[in-house]
Amino acid sequence: MTAAASETVGGTRPAARPRASASEALGRWAFRLPLIFMLVFFALPMAMTVVFSLFERTMFWMEPGFTLFSYENFFFSARLTNFLESMKYSAIAVAICFVLGFPIAVFVRRSVPQVAQHRVILLFILPFMVSEIIRVFALRPVLQRNGLVNTTLQNLGIIDEPITALLYTHTGVVIGEVLSFLPFIVFSGFLAMEAVPKYIFEVCDDLGVGPWRRFVDVILPLAAPGIFAGSVFIFVNGLGVALLPNILGGAGAVNAGLIATQAITALDFPLAMAVSAIMMATLMALLWIGHRVFDLTRILTPLS
Amino acid sequence: MDDYANPWLHRLKWAYLLLVVLTLMAPVLYVMWISFNANGFGANAYDFTWKWYGLILSDAQLIGALRWTLALALVVTAITVPMALVAAKHYKATRNKLFPVFLLLAPLFVPPDILGSALLVSFKNANLAFVWLGDRLGTEAFDAWFRLSFLTAVIGLVIYTMPYAFVVILITMGRYRAEQTEAARACGANGWRAFRDIEFPQIRPGVLSACAFTVILVFNEYTRTSLLKGGFDTFTTVLISQMLNTGMSGQSYAMSAMVSFVAIAVIGTIILVTLIRSEALAREARAKAEPVMS
Repeated sequence: MTAAASETVGGTRPAARPRASASEALGRWAFRLPLIFMLVFFALPMAMTVVFSLFERTMFWMEPGFTLFSYENFFFSARLTNFLESMKYSAIAVAICFVLGFPIAVFVRRSVPQVAQHRVILLFILPFMVSEIIRVFALRPVLQRNGLVNTTLQNLGIIDEPITALLYTHTGVVIGEVLSFLPFIVFSGFLAMEAVPKYIFEVCDDLGVGPWRRFVDVILPLAAPGIFAGSVFIFVNGLGVALLPNILGGAGAVNAGLIATQAITALDFPLAMAVSAIMMATLMALLWIGHRVFDLTRILTPLS
Repeated sequence: MDDYANPWLHRLKWAYLLLVVLTLMAPVLYVMWISFNANGFGANAYDFTWKWYGLILSDAQLIGALRWTLALALVVTAITVPMALVAAKHYKATRNKLFPVFLLLAPLFVPPDILGSALLVSFKNANLAFVWLGDRLGTEAFDAWFRLSFLTAVIGLVIYTMPYAFVVILITMGRYRAEQTEAARACGANGWRAFRDIEFPQIRPGVLSACAFTVILVFNEYTRTSLLKGGFDTFTTVLISQMLNTGMSGQSYAMSAMVSFVAIAVIGTIILVTLIRSEALAREARAKAEPVMS
């Protein structure tokens, strides 16, 4: 479709005047093709989750109807508690990612020469290029009772007994989230720091402002939209990636993604759709609040 | 206050940065280490072996899965990258930027399981609707349109990879100066010619990185593929079902390690090639600039 369209756009065939205007119109539509594709196959299915969540559940599928049963099923059961719990741990993971990752973005922007900055940031793409499942699965032998962390600590004589709280617990899930999503706060922090010119540091030094005040009063407000976008990304994925609690979590470590996949395995499709709709509502609410407070379009300035 | 005033502080920060990268990579490196141990994970003795890798290559199911994964990666790349390119051109030209950028970047923020299940249910319902329509019209032509198949997996993966390809291409386009297109048009080239001969050569590195990105993302993707695929297996779905059924065996370590090796080799090559090319281009530019400056 694209190839055919662009051939016409290119006007490889010499066309008469009226034909040219038709091909121009076609060309304009060819440029909208990706957006139409995303509307039909992404936006529409996401919006339809609300409709499907109201359908009646049948034995193996669903049938059109109107019932709030799925929402009842979600809000008046352990699922809600699990969902709120996973929100708490996801927020903790966001905070840890920010503390560990954002200083790296500041450091690279401030102290690495301009030409080398992108190359240093590329280092953080390297782990990201290895399948997330493999990285998460690989955490098992690392965090296990007789895994890398415990044996190293024991060999160094720091602990006598292996730490068992590292795996199959909420701690395990948070560790997995931090290791999976840390690169994203570095990327978004790096983009966000575009809004903080380098001379800011010199100005602060000249005015005798300490590092803490410089960070809180100058860097943070300027970089806020980018930091917020990165944090929302990590928060929502912490809620939605079923793999993390599935592989690293123990009893009670259930997030929205896991509820949805479990519902699909149990052939309760309306419930899965209700969970998706709730997740989308959470995401939209967060982005809306962020937009009102920080004006998220500011992130795009370096791109346009 | 200045980093350079205190070289040790500067070095300490570098050390921290590298430590974080190393920590992120640690699980993968550890898996690679285990994959060469004849005794598997947790053994006291370490005997170097290629045994596990030999087992993978003689596994017919796995080779079949690899073939499907490769086909998926190629088809998705062939769709995503041109679409991302067109979308980036559109984004540059359009005045209302908020809507396209929201639509193109939103998939980043939708977690895999949520996107996968929403698409799964939508496809199934679309399929039912089309089958019903076909029955009314007395045709079976639409029956296979949205049945779970290679096509549905491709659609899901195109949505997943689009934001990455779009951003990578958009960033390279940022360095292109639109006056060059205007000059080409003024010289009589049509839009397509100006794009092909003037703009594309300059954004080619971005397009190539977008291709590499897309291939690797498709190769690594598990959740969306496993929810949306038809009756075939990909590399990751085989890996996960083996891990869940029989636990981590020496073979699964070797499989994980092998994918990691390939991905790192591909990215490493791309980074090296772009670095070498950009050095060469910079040298060339300096050489050209010299007589003017003197």
